Formats: sequence, structure tokens, C-alpha cells
Amino acid sequence: MIVAEQKPLDEIMQSVSEDKNVLVLGCGTCVTVCFAGGEKEAEILAASMRMRSEMSDGGCTVDHLTIQRQCEWEYLDSAADAIKGADKVVSLACGIGAQAIIERFPEAQMVPGLNTRFYGLPTKQGVWEERCGGCGDCVLEYTDGICPVSRCSKSLLNGPCGGSHDGLCEVSDEMECAWHLIVERMEKLGHLDRLEEMHEPKNWSAARDGGPGKIVREDLLREPPGEVDEGEEGTGS
Amino acid sequence: MSEFKPGIVAFCCHHCAYGAADLAGAMRLAYPDSIRVVRLPCTGKLDVAHVLSAFEHGADGVMVAG
Repeated sequence: MIVAEQKPLDEIMQSVSEDKNVLVLGCGTCVTVCFAGGEKEAEILAASMRMRSEMSDGGCTVDHLTIQRQCEWEYLDSAADAIKGADKVVSLACGIGAQAIIERFPEAQMVPGLNTRFYGLPTKQGVWEERCGGCGDCVLEYTDGICPVSRCSKSLLNGPCGGSHDGLCEVSDEMECAWHLIVERMEKLGHLDRLEEMHEPKNWSAARDGGPGKIVREDLLREPPGEVDEGEEGTGS
Repeated sequence: MSEFKPGIVAFCCHHCAYGAADLAGAMRLAYPDSIRVVRLPCTGKLDVAHVLSAFEHGADGVMVAG
């Protein structure tokens, strides 16, 4: 899932300092699961903002609403009235959901309430760790299921660097060396020799190096439905 | 100037603290009228949002008993 963290309250308050009607819009998908921007967090942030406003000039009304998903227009439409009625929307979604708001409602004023961090998983209660770099050319097949792109600080593809020590990365003693994990796992499974296999250079143009990503599935493309002529309705084919 | 009398919202568990408050009443024990008791099925029900809501509505303090 996409993992995010809420911005500090001071920063959020600063971004709405000129506004009278603010909507805190939560998202019910990834950021709910990582406790950053779901229904509960939207409610708490809105209450905190109201109290902060009350303690200063008291001129800010803050409502909150949470929709199932901010990154799809169909779900966003269910919040259309609330979004259009607000001077500013504080989006508690990842950067995708936040941008979807202004793409769907170009007149809306939006500020992000979260910092989107990475694609990751909860490794234990309260801890999330990065697991995927979204590079567009997956190499897990060659690394026995451990991603060197996201879990190696240098995204190395050819083994550990000189900074690897005691299974840890030189960047931080709390960071495991991905290549140490890969070698350990391959040894345990008895096929360390697979690392000697040669592979084509990785296609980095599928990642950020190739510019903004876009996928078009022609088999799924549909023209928007046209208007139905009442005279032809129900005639079948 | 009158003495400050803090308004306290007390979130009480139905099964223990609320029963104790009931018993206090039966025993004619008095507590300040600025304490407002909110009965919960269990204090595990209490959420940060409820505490914030109490403060937002003017409480000076919140007590959780369970």
C-alpha cells in the first residue's frame, strides 16, 4: 500500500491561514490502513484545527468528510458539494488523491495534509517499511523476492557495496542491507550460484528516468456513453 | 473575582466507574456539579475524537474512569 504521514499541524494551519471555510477530506483506502488520513484522522485533524483557530482569531470553520477513495473520480464525485463549498480542501490522501481533487474540480483550492512516503507494508504494529520502488521493471525474480531497488540505499543491482557491515547499511544502523538479505536467503535456499547468471541491463526508462508513467490498455478503452435517444430505447438488436 | 471551577467531563465505564458513581449517589456522597458524567459501554470505546470533542465544547478537563 501507499504509506503516508500527516504533516505537522502548524504547517497545515499556515496553509489555510487566509481561509474561512475549510474541508478536511479523508481517504478510506491506503492512508486509512496506515493511520494517516482515514475517517478517524480526518475527524481528529478537523477538531484540532477548530481549536487552534478558536485560540487565535476564531474565524475558521472546519468540516470533515471521508470518502472511500480520493484517487478515483467516481468516488470523488460523492464529495462534490462539500469540495465546491469549501474555500480550501485539506486532502488527507496520498499525492495521487490530492491531485485528483483539482483535476476533477479545477476551481477547487487544495492543500496536502499528508506527506506521501513510499509503497510499503506494516512489519509490526505501528511500523511500516518500504518494499517497492515502482520501478516498472521488476527484478524480484533474480533476487529471490527481496527488492534491491527499494531496500538498498543505492538501488544497486550487482551485490552489496563496501558500506555493508554486519548485515546493516552504512546509511543507518537501523537499516538492513538488502544485498546481505538476498545473499543470506539464497544461501539458505541452496542456490547462491544463481547470482552468477548474467542478465540484460535493467530498463530504467520504465521508472522515473523515463518521465511520468502512463499505461494505456486498449482492450479496456471505452468511449463515454452518448445520450440515449428515447425513441430507440429498448428496441434491442 | 469568583473562584475558577473547572468543568470536567468524566467518561465512565458502565461496568465499574459508572456503577461506583451510582453507588456514591445512593450513599448521598456529593461531588461538584461541574463534573459531567458520560457513560460508555466500556472505556475501550473511548476515542481521541471524543476527548477532543469534550475540550472543543468547553471542558477544562477530561477524566477517564474504567
